[in-house]
Amino acid sequence: MSKIARAVPPGSLVTRRIPLLLAGFGALVLCAALSLALGSRPVPLSTVAEALFGDAHGRDAIVVTGLRLPRTVVALAVGAALGVAGAVAQGITRNPLASPTTLGINAGAGFAVVVAIYALHLTRPVEYLWFAFFGAAAAGMLALMLARRAGDLDPVRLALGGVVLQMVLLSWTQAVMLAGERTLDEARFWLAGSLSGRTFDVLWPVLPTLVIGLVLALAISPALNALALGDDSAQALGVPVARIRVVGGIAVVLLAGSAVAVAGPVAFIGLAAPHLVRLAVGSDHRLLVPGCLIAGPLLLLAADVLGRVVARPSELEVGIVSAFLGAPLLAVLARKVAR
Amino acid sequence: MTVFAVREVKAAPTSARVRQRRRLALLACVGLAALFALVTLALTTGQMPLPASVALRGLVGLGDPADVLVVQDFRAPRVIAAVVAGVGLGVAGSLLQRVFRNPLASPDVMGVTGGASFGAVVLLATGASQTLIPAAALGGGLLAALLLGVFGWRSGLTVTRLVLVGLAVQAGLAAAVNLMVVRFPAELAGSALQWTTGSLYGRTWTEVWAAGGAVALALVAAFSLQRRLAVLDLGDESAGGLGLNPSAARLQLLLTAIVLASLAAALTGPVAFVALAVPHLVRFVAGPPTPGTLALTGLAGAVLLLASDLVVQHLLPVSGLPVGVVTATLGAPWLLVLMIRQSRPVNRSAA
Repeated sequence: MSKIARAVPPGSLVTRRIPLLLAGFGALVLCAALSLALGSRPVPLSTVAEALFGDAHGRDAIVVTGLRLPRTVVALAVGAALGVAGAVAQGITRNPLASPTTLGINAGAGFAVVVAIYALHLTRPVEYLWFAFFGAAAAGMLALMLARRAGDLDPVRLALGGVVLQMVLLSWTQAVMLAGERTLDEARFWLAGSLSGRTFDVLWPVLPTLVIGLVLALAISPALNALALGDDSAQALGVPVARIRVVGGIAVVLLAGSAVAVAGPVAFIGLAAPHLVRLAVGSDHRLLVPGCLIAGPLLLLAADVLGRVVARPSELEVGIVSAFLGAPLLAVLARKVAR
Repeated sequence: MTVFAVREVKAAPTSARVRQRRRLALLACVGLAALFALVTLALTTGQMPLPASVALRGLVGLGDPADVLVVQDFRAPRVIAAVVAGVGLGVAGSLLQRVFRNPLASPDVMGVTGGASFGAVVLLATGASQTLIPAAALGGGLLAALLLGVFGWRSGLTVTRLVLVGLAVQAGLAAAVNLMVVRFPAELAGSALQWTTGSLYGRTWTEVWAAGGAVALALVAAFSLQRRLAVLDLGDESAGGLGLNPSAARLQLLLTAIVLASLAAALTGPVAFVALAVPHLVRFVAGPPTPGTLALTGLAGAVLLLASDLVVQHLLPVSGLPVGVVTATLGAPWLLVLMIRQSRPVNRSAA
C-alpha cells in the first residue's frame, strides 16, 4: 500500500487535480442553486439568496426554506452516499459494473419495504427507513456471499448473482404488491425512487450510518489502489486483501442502505459517478472516492431538477429520470468492458 | 424401430445414438404422461371440483352444460395458455443457448421478455383492445432485440457483452414500465404489474388462439432451422464450406427465438427462468442436442409452466399470485448452480 502511494508524488498529484475538483464543486453549487430555484413554482435566484439568509418572507421564501432546502440537502447526502458506495463497490470487486443496483441492494430494500407496508400498514416514508435499510443490507450481504469463490470475489459471478437476486426479489415484491390494493398504492411511488417531500427528519436517523460508511470508504481508498493490481500483487505488497474487502463491503452496505432508506431505490447514480470521476481524474482511488462525493450529488441533483422541470407542474420521480439516463450509459460501458 | 436398432448396434458411435433415441422416446412418453396428468388435474381442480371423467368429457363439450362452461371457458384457456407459453419459452431458450453456445443466454437475460412486457404495458396504457396484446408484446420484444443489437453489436455479439447490454436494455425498459405504473391510476397499475410478473389469470380463447397460432408458426420455423444449428456447431468456417452463411443463419435463428419468446410473453407476461432452466434440464437428462431434444424441451417447458401455475393456484396460501413468482423462486437457485459450475477454475481460461 505504502509503495503504491509513493509511486506517484502526492504533491503534484493533488495540485494538478485541484482545478478539476474546483470545477466539479462549482457545478455542484450551480446545481444546488437550481434545485432551490426551480420547480413547479420558479423562484428568482436573488429571492433564493434572500430567503436563505433570512431576509425574505412570503410564499416564495417558505417554498425555498421549507421545501426545497431540505430536499436539496437530502439530495446532497443521498448522492454522496450513492457515489461513494459505487466507487468502493467497483474497487473491492474490481468490476467496473458493480453498483448498489447491480448488487441487488435496491431490490432488497424494495422488498423489505413492501412487506412492511403490507404487514404493518405503514403509510409514511419516514416509517420505511429501517425496513429499507435492513432489506438493503441483507440483500447486499447475500450478493457478496454468492460471488465468493475460493475467498475471492468473482466479478462475473457478482454481476450475475446480483442480477439473479434482483430478479427474484423483484418478482416477490410484485407479488406482495398485488396481494393488496393499498400496498400497491402506497409502495409504487416509493419504489420509483423519489426525493419529493423528503425533510430533515428522514435524514437524521441515517446520518450516523452514512457518516460511518463515508469514513470507512475514505479510510480504505488508498488500499483499493493496491487491490486494483490483483489480489496476489496486493497481498505481496502487504495489503490485507480479505480485510479490505470486508470493510469495503460494510461501507457499501451502510452507504447504499442509508441512501435507499431515504430516497427509495435510485438506480445508476452509484454506477455513473465513479466513471465520470475516472474520466476526469484517472483511476487513483485516493482521488476517485472523494471525487464521488462531488459527482454523486451532482448527478442526483441534476436528475432531480430535470425531473421537476420536464413535467411541470407535476414532477418525474428522480429514480425514473436516473434510470432513463443511466441505461444507455450502462450499455456503453458494457461495450467497453466486454471487448 | 427395434429391427433398426439391432442392426445398428454393431457400430459403437451409432449405438450411442440409438441409446439416446430410445431414451428420448422414453422421456417423451414420461413428459406426455406428466402433461396429460397435469392438464387433467388443472381441469378438475378449482372452486368447483369435478371428477376427471366429467372434466375431460366437458372439454369436448359433453355432459352437464354448467360443467362444460366451467371447463371450456374458464379452465381450458388457462391450461392451454400455459402449455403454449411453456413450449414457446422452452424452445426459445434452447435456440438462444445453442446459438450463443452459452447456457446463460436466455430471453430473460437478454431483455426480450422485458421488452415484451413493455409493449404490453404501453398497450394497456393507451387503453387499446386487449386482443392486440400479442402484437404489442411482439413489437416490444423486437424493440428490445433491436436495442440489444445496436448497443451490443461490435463485429459479433460476445456473451458477456450480450448479458451486460441485455441488463441495460432491461433496466431502461423497466424504467419506462415503472414510469407508467407510477402514473397510472391504481387499477391499471395493478394489471400492469400483473403483466410484468407473468400471470396466466383470466386468459380468454381469443388471446390463446391468436398467440397459439403464431407460436405454432414460429415453432415450424424453429424446427426447420434446427438443422442449421447443427451445421453452425461445426464452426463458422466449416459451415461456410457447407454452403451456409453463418451470420445469416444465426440472425434467422435469433429472430425465431425472439419471436417465440415474445409471443409466449404476450400470453403469460415475462415468466422468469423457464427459458433459462428448461434447456439445461433437458440436456442433463437427454444428452446432446437433436431435433428430438428440441421437441422434448418444448414439452418440458409446458410441463414446468403448467405445474408452476397449479402450485400458484392451489398450493400457495395467498390467492391471485402471478405464476412468475413460482418460476423465479424455483429458477434462481438453478441459475446460481449453473454460474458456479461455469466459473469453476477449469473453465475460467475460456471465460
